Amino acid sequence: MPGVAPIAPRPRDCDASVPELSIRMNQIRPADAALTDWRQAALRFEAEIAKAVVGQERAIRLVTIAIFARGHVLLEGDVGVGKTTLLRAVARALGGAYERVEGTVDMMPADLIYHTYLAEDGRPRIEPGPVLRRSQDLSVFFFNEINRARPQVHSLLLRLMAERSVQAFDREYRFPHLQVFADRNRVEREETFELPAAARDRFLMEIGMEAPTDPALRRSLAFDPRFHDTDTLVAEVAADVIDQGAVAGIAAALQHGIHASPALEDYVVRLWSAVREPAKAGISLPDVAMESLVQGGASPRGIAFLIRAARVRAWLEGRDVLLPEDLRAVFHETMAHRIFLEPVYEMRRERIVPEFCRAVLATVPAP
Amino acid sequence: MRLRALLTLAALAACLLPALPAAAQIGTVTVRSPRPFGLFLGDRFGATVEIEAADGFVPQAASLPKAGPLTYWLDLTGLSVAAGPLLPNGNRLWRLSLAYQTFYAALDVRRLDIPAFTVTFASDSARATTSATAEVPTWPILVSPLREIQPPPVADPVDYLRPESPVPRRDPGPARALAWAFAALGLAGLALLARDRAWWPLHRRPARAFAAAARQVRRLAARPEDEAAYRAALLALHRGLDRTDGRRVMGEDLADFLGRHPAYGALAQPLGRFFAASRAAFFGRDPAAARRAWPFPDLVATARRLAAAERAGPPAGNGGTP
Repeated sequence: MPGVAPIAPRPRDCDASVPELSIRMNQIRPADAALTDWRQAALRFEAEIAKAVVGQERAIRLVTIAIFARGHVLLEGDVGVGKTTLLRAVARALGGAYERVEGTVDMMPADLIYHTYLAEDGRPRIEPGPVLRRSQDLSVFFFNEINRARPQVHSLLLRLMAERSVQAFDREYRFPHLQVFADRNRVEREETFELPAAARDRFLMEIGMEAPTDPALRRSLAFDPRFHDTDTLVAEVAADVIDQGAVAGIAAALQHGIHASPALEDYVVRLWSAVREPAKAGISLPDVAMESLVQGGASPRGIAFLIRAARVRAWLEGRDVLLPEDLRAVFHETMAHRIFLEPVYEMRRERIVPEFCRAVLATVPAP
Repeated sequence: MRLRALLTLAALAACLLPALPAAAQIGTVTVRSPRPFGLFLGDRFGATVEIEAADGFVPQAASLPKAGPLTYWLDLTGLSVAAGPLLPNGNRLWRLSLAYQTFYAALDVRRLDIPAFTVTFASDSARATTSATAEVPTWPILVSPLREIQPPPVADPVDYLRPESPVPRRDPGPARALAWAFAALGLAGLALLARDRAWWPLHRRPARAFAAAARQVRRLAARPEDEAAYRAALLALHRGLDRTDGRRVMGEDLADFLGRHPAYGALAQPLGRFFAASRAAFFGRDPAAARRAWPFPDLVATARRLAAAERAGPPAGNGGTP
């Protein structure tokens, strides 16, 4: 890929001091020139999003990984930290048809699929709803405040996300490019419905967003009028940086192009069994009986998602081999929401699960 | 005619004159023998020879008698020369202290003569060296027999010998106490050294993780061509890093690791190469490339340096491990 100037800031590269060996290893082979081109596009995409959302480099990186892993993303965080802004910016930079719905307590699955109204002639009409309106072209489906919707809506999403298809008007609609972005605020509990385990498991990642802690960023977020008007802020993002329709092909190519060695496979298997049987792996947390902590989760689908996301991360870092670092970088976001605890610990989930993920990564030897 | 003969004689005498002062340069030679009698077989005895020599003349070391056997019955066992005071007549007194040992087995009281010898004195002037010889005459000693000529017969010839003198009994207490003290000191030192070097049984300490790793790497280095040994050595270093940091240290964490453990700051580059080699060996497409790029000797050297840095501890004034 000669002649392409890096438009986006280079990803964090801690190997700058390491001589020729790693450089040779980190370079994507020339045969995969398309992958290299796409990497530049992905980095440009990140840079565009970063114009609108400051201090969220990690969340932006994870969303990019999710896009190229073809996974659905659930964003959660405090009120007003920029979840919606981030997703709007992503939807803008990502080319393709875009639909957005707001979760409400009275929303029913039919509201997503059908649009019913009384026409001018006074007769009821049924037309395709938000999901069907763009039919096959729908690429970004943005579900705002997903936890305000009822479980019935969640179960519709189940099929939509897992199979990218839905049954309506007595036929099957397919959405080959569909990617669901949802957000959820974790502060409010009234009139909300917790997502069922099966629905959460369909999300590739659950990304937690926190307000930036850097004082300079906080000052500019508070005083810079640029950040007060979300519409113009999102409008600054270049539209259609990535063609969503072509992502599926490149996503499949990079899953084949990134090499996972037997040692890495061993590492993944060790991670997996450590999540399922933490006591045997020698993991211990304060005030937790490790033998009866994990009830279920860490499904084969979850592990497959983890590997998918890790491969994309390796690609974004400019490598053609998968490293434990890649797994670690996406482990929490891809695994935490798939680990289901015993009911006695479920109430303390928000404290226990991050600690548990940290302990698993700190205990399982790599390589 | 007679006058001419006389003159010739005088001229000859004048020619010989330079030889004459030698007599004047050496004064009296006195032998002082403190106890020249009652000497038995094997006795040591001394003598002092005092030689007056003109000031400026010193005895020449080469002319002094050599320590060693002088005759079949006499050994010279020691000799020293010392300059004495300046005498009123302008000469200097030189003292030769001689130590002898006699081996004469006398059957009766007998007078023996210590052999005479000469000592050459020399004076170094700017133009020439003048030498003079002092003659030390013989002097007598009296040696006596140890036993009668014909002792009365005894049944056992051993009875002729005197019984051995009893061995003095010494108190072993202080020596034993000292021996224990030194042994304890040595053991304590060995324990300290073992702790510092993380030898058995103090080898499995978190504070000496790299010492254990270096030991394992050294063992594995005996098979430098073995791919499995190379990987095992890399793993040993990985575990050393993990144990030092209390978590799994991956390549991307190197900068953070060095920030937390400034003791290894000087090893940033070898550690970077280590992680690169480890990535290539475990996760790369061509595992054998790692060993070619970063061969076993480099690995061993890095392990050794890590262990040394670990022993040296964190640099002064720099907190250390969290």
